[in-house]
Amino acid sequence: MTSADFSTVLPEFLLALFAMVALLAGVWTGKDRVAGLVLWITVAVLVVLAAWIGLNGGGARQAFGGLFIDDAFARFSKVAILISAAAVLAMSADYMGRRGLLRFEYPILVALAVVGMMMMVSAGDLMALYMGLELQSLALYVVAALRRDSAKSSEAGLKYFVLGSLSSGLLLYGASLIYGFAGTTSFAGIITVVEEGHLPIGVLFGMVFMLVGLSFKVSAVPFHMWTPDVYEGSPTPVTAFFATAPKMAAMALLARLAHDAFGQVPGDWGQIIGLLAVASMLLGAVAAIGQRNIKRLMAYSSIAHMGFALLGLAAGTEEGVQAMLIYMAIYVTMNVGTFAFILSMERDGQPVTEIAALNLYARREPLKALAMLVLLFSLAGVPPMLGFFAKFAVLKAALTAGYVWLVVIGVISSVIGAFYYLRIVYFMYFGTETEALDTRMPAVQWALLMVSAFIMVAGVLNLFGVEGAAAAAASALVR
Amino acid sequence: MSPALIAALPFLGSLLPALLIRTGRSHAAISAGVISGLALLGLLLNAPAILRGEVITARFDWLPWLGLNANFMIDGLGLLFASLILGIGLLIILYARFYLSKDDPVGQFYTYLLLFQGAMVGIVLSDNILLLLIFWELTSLSSFLLIGYWKHLPEGRQGARMALTVTGLGGLSMIAGMLILGNIAGSYDISAILQSKEAIQASPYYLPALILILGGAFTKSAQFPFHFWLPHAMAAPTPVSAYLHSATMVKAGLFLMARLWPVLSGTPEWFYIVATTGLVTMLVGAKIAIFKDDLKALLAFSTVSHLGLITFLLGLGTEAGAVAAVFHIINHATFKAALFMSAGIVDHETHTRDIKRLGGLRHLMPVTFTIATVAALSMAGIPLLNGFLSKEMMLEEASHTLWAGNGWIVPALAAIAALFSATYSFRYIAHAFLGPVRDDYPHKPHDPGFGMWAAPAFLVVLVVAIGIMPMTFAGPILEAAANAVVGGGLHMHPVKLWHGFTPALWMSVFAVVGGLVVLGQHRRLEALWLATPRPEAKAVFDALVGACVRGATRFTSALHNGSMARYLLIFVLAALAAGIWAWTTGEQGPPTRAMLPITPVAAAAWVTLLVATGCVVAYHRNRLLALVLISIVGLIVSLSFVYLSAPDLALTQISVEVVTAVLMLLALNFLPKITQPETRLIKRRFDALVAVAGGLGTGLLIYALMVRDFAFPTMSEYHLANSYKLGGGTNVVNVILVDFRGYDTFGEVIVLGIAALVIFALTEALLTGASSRKLIAWRPDVARAGDKHPLMLLVATRVMMPIALMMAVFIFLRGHNLPGGGFIAGLVAAIALVMQYMASGFAWTQARQKVYYHVLIALGVLAAGITGIGALFNGLPFLTSDFGYFRIPPFEKFELATAMGFDLGVFLGVVGSVMLALGGLSRLARRAAVGDEGFHVVAEKPEAREMAGHVPREVGLAGAMLRRQRKDGSEEGI
Repeated sequence: MTSADFSTVLPEFLLALFAMVALLAGVWTGKDRVAGLVLWITVAVLVVLAAWIGLNGGGARQAFGGLFIDDAFARFSKVAILISAAAVLAMSADYMGRRGLLRFEYPILVALAVVGMMMMVSAGDLMALYMGLELQSLALYVVAALRRDSAKSSEAGLKYFVLGSLSSGLLLYGASLIYGFAGTTSFAGIITVVEEGHLPIGVLFGMVFMLVGLSFKVSAVPFHMWTPDVYEGSPTPVTAFFATAPKMAAMALLARLAHDAFGQVPGDWGQIIGLLAVASMLLGAVAAIGQRNIKRLMAYSSIAHMGFALLGLAAGTEEGVQAMLIYMAIYVTMNVGTFAFILSMERDGQPVTEIAALNLYARREPLKALAMLVLLFSLAGVPPMLGFFAKFAVLKAALTAGYVWLVVIGVISSVIGAFYYLRIVYFMYFGTETEALDTRMPAVQWALLMVSAFIMVAGVLNLFGVEGAAAAAASALVR
Repeated sequence: MSPALIAALPFLGSLLPALLIRTGRSHAAISAGVISGLALLGLLLNAPAILRGEVITARFDWLPWLGLNANFMIDGLGLLFASLILGIGLLIILYARFYLSKDDPVGQFYTYLLLFQGAMVGIVLSDNILLLLIFWELTSLSSFLLIGYWKHLPEGRQGARMALTVTGLGGLSMIAGMLILGNIAGSYDISAILQSKEAIQASPYYLPALILILGGAFTKSAQFPFHFWLPHAMAAPTPVSAYLHSATMVKAGLFLMARLWPVLSGTPEWFYIVATTGLVTMLVGAKIAIFKDDLKALLAFSTVSHLGLITFLLGLGTEAGAVAAVFHIINHATFKAALFMSAGIVDHETHTRDIKRLGGLRHLMPVTFTIATVAALSMAGIPLLNGFLSKEMMLEEASHTLWAGNGWIVPALAAIAALFSATYSFRYIAHAFLGPVRDDYPHKPHDPGFGMWAAPAFLVVLVVAIGIMPMTFAGPILEAAANAVVGGGLHMHPVKLWHGFTPALWMSVFAVVGGLVVLGQHRRLEALWLATPRPEAKAVFDALVGACVRGATRFTSALHNGSMARYLLIFVLAALAAGIWAWTTGEQGPPTRAMLPITPVAAAAWVTLLVATGCVVAYHRNRLLALVLISIVGLIVSLSFVYLSAPDLALTQISVEVVTAVLMLLALNFLPKITQPETRLIKRRFDALVAVAGGLGTGLLIYALMVRDFAFPTMSEYHLANSYKLGGGTNVVNVILVDFRGYDTFGEVIVLGIAALVIFALTEALLTGASSRKLIAWRPDVARAGDKHPLMLLVATRVMMPIALMMAVFIFLRGHNLPGGGFIAGLVAAIALVMQYMASGFAWTQARQKVYYHVLIALGVLAAGITGIGALFNGLPFLTSDFGYFRIPPFEKFELATAMGFDLGVFLGVVGSVMLALGGLSRLARRAAVGDEGFHVVAEKPEAREMAGHVPREVGLAGAMLRRQRKDGSEEGI
């Protein structure tokens, strides 16, 4: 372990150290009484790390003999992960606190999950991949069941755990097949093996099973089954977390595996990912139509969005990866804003998740309704909101790669999907008279909602330069 | 003025009315008017150049990597549409100033109107299809706001929703068409796309692209079968209807078809889709319009019909058709906007739009009557008015159009549509304005002030002027626009009033005369109309949406029914499918390894394995039996390791099997002995099928892998070659564990210890509170065996214990070179101890335990860690092992490796962890047993009370717990 290795993983190391110190400090001091403090310190640490990683440019570095890769791609993903995790934590403080859910383990588990995610996007080896993935998953299993006294939450956590273990098992099986055939676990080693021609069947099997395992993590159809239940059952801040950072991490990991280890055979995985993308887009769009619960709706929405991001990845090109990264960055921003709003939906202090509760919301809260209108239009991919640019970029990348029918199906499912977003807008502006929601909204949630909506509108000017960073990230990954 | 600035002006100026509304409605209106006027002026400054055939452009890079550039251009078509949008916009602003009342939010109205105007101008001036798309959806958005602000319109809600749904979704579908188009042309600039007609029409993706683009255009322009939203959107205030739903927004679809006409038209697909849709729309819209009693609904359906007429002309794909289409766009905009405004005036003055409650307004509102009559006659196609000219051109084109080789169907339908059109136009005049004056108007009407009728009057003047002298008033712009539509090189015949007695003229005469006749029979026809069932668009739309929602809900609830089994089933099926896909697409070389000969012993073991596996499935409801069968499977697996020359694995496997069997026995204790089936037989059969498929798939895969060589050398060779050289041991497995991958093992020992601690903590939590009461109340569902601690077992285990421990030491010591090692030794020692617990009882054993398992775990971790650190003193990295050979008389020469210290750590860690976990679980059993038998006896003693659930939390730590158990044990032992 040289100092160069160490300086490369310093952000991860510091975050892990912080989590452990915070855990010990929490146990030895006030436990849940210091939860608020721990939460805000965690937010600060995440933001500082994001700034540090984001401003710290430079080329690609490796640590521990290629186990860990720090390049523009990893940095892009990490910044998105850190910022979204910090945003979700910040907006959950009030919600969790008022419902007695603010345990001091919560921010620590989130921090540990983030360490896992950072490890995932930097993985240069099957071992590192699995380690990061499991660290993330184990933390997520626990936060999904955070509301222990609720049967729904416990059930959600259990389902997520069992299915997640199954997918992890499949992933491991695939990884061991790859290792058995390639004789190495490092991506750089696998790609030299793959370079020698078509995939030997053992490696092909290994790759397929690894893709299946990772599809579960990005909740791509048909491995998405856990998503609606977990989204509905978990406390809303946890749902918001599920919808943002882990998705970014899993998607980045998928891209990393596909390009770093199997970059020579994009046709082989492109087909699988393309299929997953189409299935996700269609199912996400169709299944969301009948939903009355906004959290379940967001689950299907995230499935559909993952389908679009996968579409960019399926292209197998640098342009595709760039489009995917832009898509994910915009997706995460939209979701942070939307969930900030959902968190504030309550009546007489009790959380409400029925969509019908939004009836005529615009009449009472015109500004917030307008912000939601912008976000929902953006989620639907309606021009000129930023969501359109995201969709357009992936569609264009897929089209350039020759996937015309995928593009057509993608657009059709976005048309179907737009229906339910617009329906919420309709409820807010023209619905029937119902019992009003509370107008209370904590400042943090309000600010995140407004900032996110503002980005959706103002971002169309130049996307805040994200496409440049995404291009650099994509060129670091696709060689 | 730059085209970009013209498009930007309304956006920039849209803030003004909202700010100025505080100073009065007039100021807001004037500011909006000034903005529109400025934009129009800027546009007209460019007009001379454009009429000369130039194209004015302005180009800015926006997001070049996406192909999206802010490129604007004004050609003839753009000029025509932009001046219509801005010119009629000006008139609407004037009209709305007087139409809207004091209570209406006028500032917002003008703001949204300007936003909408900017979006429309943007559509028609864009030179980039992505930019066009953006403006396209902006019109949807701003029109939604424009309708949405109108809060006191409950019936408008449904209409607004329908309009937004239909046009918004259509616009989205266009994205794909635009993408494909741009991909074929290699650029998203419209000027570039217009150059690549051959490439586009030859592409296999021409038809999908065409359908998707037309999907957007047809929904926006309310073409059949999407025509239903337009009449329902008419609930909006009249200025909005006049502007959006007649003059501008609905023309966006026509604009798009005209814009892409050079590259998309001229194919049979284009003709049959576009012309047919146009013709049907023309006919259907006109027919419905005849029977509408609401003035605005009548006009709305007539608009649908006229939009269909223009679509039909564009669909013909001929130059003359394009000219006629452009001409009718001009004419329709003029007379229809005037008609809407006149309807608005009637509504404003009489407070009703119901034609049945009107009539005789001619005498009360002469000015309005004049305006409405001229405009309606133009719509009916009466000579000397502009509507006549373009309708004549349409009929002329229709008269020689073949549809699927048939020469009369198109002219006949066109003539009938013209007849219907004349009918509803006459009806508008006759039933609203003619007839006797009534005395039951909801409000006594009179002509409004000049401000309100100025705008329609101006338009009517245009109607007449163009009607009489078409080439003077509309010629240049018509030629420039039509030239742009056909892509240059247009030979336009001048539009004339008189062409002689052509078929078109006779058709026209037929239409007008027929129209009068039909109007005469209106009452009878209406009765017929009301009697015949007809699809009500709104009901159909609602039913369609409802069916979609229901279908989606049913689909989703069938898929996501919350059942974990269902989820697992889908997961396994999908994984199976993925495996089959890989199997069929991958390249499989021929088998390269021969099978081993099958010996009778191996065959017998194999059969036993199969039978045991099958029996597990068959008898799994009896849990104890299932556990026994699983143990048999484990035993056979261990034996097969022996058979395949892997004694190390075999040893490990068998000891792990024993430990897990004991663990499961302890857990099974608390579960029902028999499980009841919860699903139906058929589902179980299906599940069995899936399970067999999954198992067979995995088995086949492994078989296929085993009969082939690995594609690349594995790393076993390296370990075989180096384990003695570098690690000083001949047992490769052990050397890997303690040396090559010492880090992993070190980590694993720690993890194992943590896991044991977690089990301990969890079981401790179960011993207090509600779960403790539950435990005490728990009764086994099968009666216990009589003898709790059978003597035979007791004696046997006590004799076995030293032997087993000796065995453990032996296995530990030989581990470095021969099968064995710390891990296996640890398990063996643990088994020796567990046997005591089983035979003699928890309490008895605990009482004799001298070292706590917590301490064992800690010692293990410490031993391993210290050995590792030892290497640092030697100047080597952490955990590097070293070894040497020593001779201490009288012993033989023997080897000592630092790895042994490490292995000792592993040994201790394993013993401690296994025992702690088992101990935790057996404490649960014991708690239940205490509740069962001796609770009342021991309840007198303070320690036992603690046990019964009153454990003080602050002392409820591990040590306290252990102490307590030992005390209990000494009293309760055998």
